Amino acid sequence: MKKFKISVVLLMAFASLSFADEMSGEQVISNVYNRPSSNDLQANLTMELKNSQGNTRVREIKQFVKAIPEGEKKIMYFVAPADVKNTSFMNWSYDDASKSDDQWIYLPALKKIKRISSDSKSDSFMGSDFTYDDLGDRALSDDTHSIIREETLDKKDCYVVESVSKQDNYMYSRTLTWVEKGSWIGIKKEFYDEDDELLKVLRVLASETLDGVIIITNTTMENVQNGHSTTMTLKDILVNKGLDDSLFTERMMKRAPR
Amino acid sequence: MQSKFNTILKHPYLIFLVTIMLSLALFQQIKSKGAMETDLDKYMPQDHPAFVYSDQAEGWFDIKDGIIIAIENPEGIYNPGTLEKIKQLTKDLQKMDEIEKADVTSLYTADNILGTDDGMDVKSFYRRVPTTTEKLNELQQAVKSNDMVYGRLVSENEKVSVLIARINDDVFTQDFYQRILELGQKYEGPEIIHVAGSPIIEGTMALLGPADMKRMVPIVIAVIFLLLLLVLKSVKNTIFTFLVVAVSSIWTFGLMAAVGIPVYAVSTMIPVMLIAIGVADGIHLFSHLDLYLLKHPNATRAEASYNMLKEMWIPVVMTSVTTAIGFVSLLTSEVYPIKYFGLFTAFGVLAAMVLSLTLIPAGVMAFGFKKRKSSELNGEVSHNSNQISQSFTTFLFKYKLFIVATTVAIMIISIVGTTKVWINSSFLDKFEPDSEIVLTDKFINENFGGTSTLNLILESNDKNAFKNPEILEIVLDLQNDVETLPMVGSSFSLNDYLLRMNKVMHADSAQYESVPGNSDLIAQYLLLYEMSGDPEKLWQVTDYEYRKLNITFQLKSDNSKVINEALEKIGTKRSVLAAQGVTMNFAGSGYKGLVFTDLILEGQIKSLFISLVIIVLLLTLMFKDYRVGIIGSVPIIITALISFGVMGLLNIPLNTTSALLSSISVGIGIDYAVHFIDRYRANLAKNTDSRVALEKTMSHSGRAIIFNAIVVILGFMVLLASVFPPNRQLGGLVSLNMFTSFVGTLTIMVLLLKKFKIFQNKNKE
Repeated sequence: MKKFKISVVLLMAFASLSFADEMSGEQVISNVYNRPSSNDLQANLTMELKNSQGNTRVREIKQFVKAIPEGEKKIMYFVAPADVKNTSFMNWSYDDASKSDDQWIYLPALKKIKRISSDSKSDSFMGSDFTYDDLGDRALSDDTHSIIREETLDKKDCYVVESVSKQDNYMYSRTLTWVEKGSWIGIKKEFYDEDDELLKVLRVLASETLDGVIIITNTTMENVQNGHSTTMTLKDILVNKGLDDSLFTERMMKRAPR
Repeated sequence: MQSKFNTILKHPYLIFLVTIMLSLALFQQIKSKGAMETDLDKYMPQDHPAFVYSDQAEGWFDIKDGIIIAIENPEGIYNPGTLEKIKQLTKDLQKMDEIEKADVTSLYTADNILGTDDGMDVKSFYRRVPTTTEKLNELQQAVKSNDMVYGRLVSENEKVSVLIARINDDVFTQDFYQRILELGQKYEGPEIIHVAGSPIIEGTMALLGPADMKRMVPIVIAVIFLLLLLVLKSVKNTIFTFLVVAVSSIWTFGLMAAVGIPVYAVSTMIPVMLIAIGVADGIHLFSHLDLYLLKHPNATRAEASYNMLKEMWIPVVMTSVTTAIGFVSLLTSEVYPIKYFGLFTAFGVLAAMVLSLTLIPAGVMAFGFKKRKSSELNGEVSHNSNQISQSFTTFLFKYKLFIVATTVAIMIISIVGTTKVWINSSFLDKFEPDSEIVLTDKFINENFGGTSTLNLILESNDKNAFKNPEILEIVLDLQNDVETLPMVGSSFSLNDYLLRMNKVMHADSAQYESVPGNSDLIAQYLLLYEMSGDPEKLWQVTDYEYRKLNITFQLKSDNSKVINEALEKIGTKRSVLAAQGVTMNFAGSGYKGLVFTDLILEGQIKSLFISLVIIVLLLTLMFKDYRVGIIGSVPIIITALISFGVMGLLNIPLNTTSALLSSISVGIGIDYAVHFIDRYRANLAKNTDSRVALEKTMSHSGRAIIFNAIVVILGFMVLLASVFPPNRQLGGLVSLNMFTSFVGTLTIMVLLLKKFKIFQNKNKE
């Protein structure tokens, strides 16, 4: 499956080199969405939240992610701050857009696992400026994509692709993505709200190649309307270590990671 | 002096020309640079600790005033039509440039956090408007079981739902206000739309007050003009008296514009003050001229004018200087618009003085005396006037004891009344009790927590202090305690989130609607809330480090008594919280208004005393007798006391307008006394008998004082017909103060002058 994806991407990369002018917006975004990813990943995630007054708070999380045929399983353990240590959160997401995520939370002070269900993908991810939707891929066909220009950003040649939601009441009326040619990383993305006002700006600050896969390790999301921002940094990354399915269970949620 | 008078009298047209040129130049300044300042925040002294703190806290927690729009459907709100309107109105409000999207709260935007058997469910109450009975019932049940919405966004009788749009202070304009009202109207029928909230009240006031003044002031001017005609019996003299007031107003506002100071709401009172003060000079001058002409029917213009200036310039200057001092004392106020008001009114008074001493004699020189009836030429009126003065003086001395006793009695009653005076910073109380805005406010207060807010800010030095259940229990106690007050509708704090989360995580069991028992659990609930609700909302009740807490109380009135009652109740927990290292402070516009009003009052009382002391000293210097200083200030002391006493007895609270007026009465009231004393001294110099001198003074100054009082009192009584209560109050108080000053001067002060044989010893030597 993954190998197949890689070959497609390679083919497309070649195609883009020779017929650059003929790339469509949809192809560019497709390249981004289908960029090879690892089968599993574990890492320490540091999340720094900053408000408009310049106050910051830091959360440290140990996370495990595994791709499954239907989608992805993820489990996160809070390491800091101390009063939420060992709180864990598990999320199973599905490629099938009609199926909403399964989510569980374990509160050690309550010693109970609770299922959380939410009808909105616009919920904030852990109180950050990312929504669950911002972190996951959207289906390619959810939006209409078009290249509006090509430009150089941070010395990188980029396509600027506009993606307009086909749904009427989606939280973003449109997004603009600066996609680096060749690597197919969206290095910058602007999110426009329902009234077409700039709401948030995402920037990719660093990435690493591990086991032949590009892992984005440092991103920042800034909400320009309320002056809030979130920086996420991945450290101690291990990929494709063959994480077992049994790690992603309610039983494991109660057990602090090694 | 003599040469100066002659210069004035020789060049009347030059005086007209200079006056016109100056007026035109200053008028140009008003036109090009004049600006109104309507932002109420600009009135507050920015460096006062209470305001500094409140502004800071408003920043920490994003505290803003809210516009409240209530949708009422007598049939109940759970029908597709009304729910659609709530949805559309929410969207319309979010689209307005002045309103941040996240600042609109309604049933449509609210999150419904629900406990389920195995976990927690976060949903909106509705996205698509429910149409089936089943779905509508489901929504109804969902609202009913959520305390964060039931009674807050939907009334308990389920007939009203509110939308709250929080706005920044600086976005409120007349245009925005109009658009909000129009937006509401668009959604009328069968639903009824009510618009309220403090920005709306302030907006209505800013609109209604000046509009009413615009309507009433021309009537006041017309009435005063007519009354002047009656007492001066001359069109020419009336016009010149009036010109003095008009030109001094132009000069004052022109100077204000030239030095770049905007016109504040309180500055609109300057012309009012100048009318009350400025006409006095004219009346006294023309009154003197009339009396002179009665004795010297064949005097020339120059002779009569010269005599008028010679005899009257001292009292005119004295009264103007003392009045100006009264206004200058307002510089002690901490409130800048009041400082400016004092300073510029003082300038206006002095301008009126200069104009009275130049324009009026110039007018006489250029246009001659008023037409005199043959009877006047024969001195019949004089005889008549003298007779009245005589019998009034006789009456005064015959009922001396009665007058003194009555004065003392009135003083005692007034002092009792003064102790009952209270201050009210309420905006709403300035409207008619049956006005739409008051009725709307009442309607919303009956159905919801309250339209006014008070923010209690708690602070601790310890990080995570407000994750400590012990402290949160005290806060919850405090919230419950304060909510027992009848005028406190509800309160909101971090506790409300915690209670809800605790209940939800225990499968919606009501027994868990309490502060969670340990701080880790609290931290974990908050994390969970951040993950599933709207994390931004949390930072309206606490901060990142949980060192600060914002507790919002909804009050059913913005009346100072209500706010003070809540403050007092909150204060009972001060020591318990202090024991936990938690300090208390307050914030929000209601609280600032309260502090502001206290500040104004404090400033008024301070300036009242300062001006009184200065006036006593000034009179002492002018008349070289400290007793004159004291006796001369008796009428104004009486005036101020009666003014406060009446307010206390009639339960009229002090507010910015009335507080200002009471101290201004000093400035105006002193004029009567100065004119009378100065004339009395002059007459005593000619007559050895003090009784005769008094009678003569009565028929001279007394006559002018009565004319002056009648004109101003009746003129300002016109304002009693105003539709805006504060303007009515203004009319009533100016009239009352003028009346008491005038009665006090002509009765008790006269008796005191006689009793203490003022000026007599000197003359007998």
